[in-house]
Amino acid sequence: MSTILKIENLQAQVGDKAILKGINLEVKAGEIHAIMGPNGSGKSTLSSVLAGRDEYEVTNGSATYLGKDLFELDPEERAWEGLFMAFQYPVEIPGVSNINFLRTALAEKANYFKKEPLSAKEFLQTVKEKSALVELNDKLKNRSVNVGFSGGEKKRNEIFQMAMLEPTLSILDETDSGLDIDALRIVANGVNTLKTENNATIVITHYQRLLDYIIPDFVHVLFDGRIIKTGGKELALELEEKGYDWLTKEAVAN
Amino acid sequence: MSTILKEKKFDLAVSTLNDEISKSALAEISNLEFPTRRTENWRYVKLGKLLKQDLKTDNVADLDISDFLIPELNTHVIVLVNGHYNETLSSSTPSAGLLIDRLENQKDTDLFTSHYNTLSEKHSEEIFTSINTAYNQDGVFIHIDKNKHIEKPIFIININTSSNLITNTRNLIVIDKGAKASIIQGYYTTSEKGNFNNSLTEVFVKQNANLSIDKIQDIDATDKHICTEEIHQEKDSNFKINTFILNGELIRNNVNISVDGTNCHSEMNGLFIGRDSQFIDNHTRVDHLKSHCISSELYKGILKDKSTGVFNGKVIVHQDAQVIEAYQQNNNVILSDSATMNTKPELEIFADDVKCSHGATTGQFDEEAIFYLQARGISKVRAKEMLIGAFSEDVLAKINNQNVRNFIESRI
Repeated sequence: MSTILKIENLQAQVGDKAILKGINLEVKAGEIHAIMGPNGSGKSTLSSVLAGRDEYEVTNGSATYLGKDLFELDPEERAWEGLFMAFQYPVEIPGVSNINFLRTALAEKANYFKKEPLSAKEFLQTVKEKSALVELNDKLKNRSVNVGFSGGEKKRNEIFQMAMLEPTLSILDETDSGLDIDALRIVANGVNTLKTENNATIVITHYQRLLDYIIPDFVHVLFDGRIIKTGGKELALELEEKGYDWLTKEAVAN
Repeated sequence: MSTILKEKKFDLAVSTLNDEISKSALAEISNLEFPTRRTENWRYVKLGKLLKQDLKTDNVADLDISDFLIPELNTHVIVLVNGHYNETLSSSTPSAGLLIDRLENQKDTDLFTSHYNTLSEKHSEEIFTSINTAYNQDGVFIHIDKNKHIEKPIFIININTSSNLITNTRNLIVIDKGAKASIIQGYYTTSEKGNFNNSLTEVFVKQNANLSIDKIQDIDATDKHICTEEIHQEKDSNFKINTFILNGELIRNNVNISVDGTNCHSEMNGLFIGRDSQFIDNHTRVDHLKSHCISSELYKGILKDKSTGVFNGKVIVHQDAQVIEAYQQNNNVILSDSATMNTKPELEIFADDVKCSHGATTGQFDEEAIFYLQARGISKVRAKEMLIGAFSEDVLAKINNQNVRNFIESRI
């Protein structure tokens, strides 16, 4: 299977503080990877660096995405190339309607590939189809982006956007945080439905709970800026039972 | 032969509209000084360059005005070129109750004499007001007769086609009892530079009348413009003025509303976009003289580069004006470290039963929002445009005419 993302010895810092201290990860088409770890281990930094947030400085290492140097691409170019990040805290943007925002995003992507954008009719048809996937209320689609959305609606909106943009690599950053069990099920169902043999997903989470619904092929444990253990889906269950301490103590001892 | 304001050397023809009024304005000017940085009402305005500039007058007969028309908008058109009413270029379809004329032609009518300068004289201590009264060379007279509703907007196009011009345009608008109209005032320049337009419009909104003005200021980046509206509202009347400042080196707006009747509604809105070293100053004043009225004000500014913005909104609720609601809001975004905004909402309340609010914010665009849009594949430039659009939305929503709105939107 073809490689979508290859991260080698990735090191990154915020200000003077080193956060990622040498990450290695390879994600192939059709795979779901879970990255777990205690608070402060570097999970959110990893997703931010991959999405292109500029407060984070990459000091060493590389990330190759579909054969391209990811760090040479602006955040919007990454999006056009099929990278999608579901935000832990989706931003509220008063005055920008959800629908116009998506129409613009899709039009810019089409333009990047020198293709015709969807017609108004095709666009609305796609919106209808994809929003049903996450049971997103019609009214929410016309509202300002995330404004007045509940926590669960914001996360569903993220997955709706993901469905519209049809990414090759999706990174779900703590998508389960603050979700009740129904919203969690809906979000997970959306992600599972969008899964194909040509795309891949990285699920970043603190808890095992989400992984009951989105079954990972690999589970990586991130601690102090490094991946200290990689296993199958059973590793998540083990972490749920034993906590992170047994692994982190081992890592500190080494 | 030229005019240099600083030396009060006005090589300009004295206004012939009313000799007595012109004479008293001249006397006023000789006693007045130009405002300095110590003059509270003008403290941020750098007039130095304007005062020292050689200014002249000019007249042009013919011109292509198509560039200044608003797409798909059908209006009565009044054109003033270099401050002179141009009858050839103006075109208005005759409508019952609508009178549009050169001010000069109306100067002997009762309507003229009973209104002309009655509002401005209260502010004759403002030197630019007195200069306009003394030296206005031409202008527009609009009268809407009792109970007439003029559906088609009236578009007053002011164009300067020469360089280093001084134009003192004077307009008089009387919307009679129960009448209704909408006016668009546009200020433009062709490719010429360094002009100064000192415009003054007196507006009378009579009992139960309704008037809205959309003011578009899109002059050359080297032009200066002082623009004053003096408005008088009688009872049960509605008045709204929306100001859109798109370009100009120095723009100062004075909107003064005297709400002199009960049950009135007054609205002032504005959107300004500063670029380069532009200076944009909006001063508004509402005098609530009678009870049971509502005034509301929303000004929004976007300041880029080294531009400077000023907002000063004053609401005075006089002693006898009870049950007044007055709302005032000014929000600004600063898009550069070198841009500046000075904002001062003021309330002076002498009555007891009053509901007032005022607020001002100045901030930057939310970087998180820009990143979020980028992360979905919207380029940074487009993301900022979207946020500017979103920020402007509630002011744009105040424009009644969709074509005018589309036009303004396309220019920001």
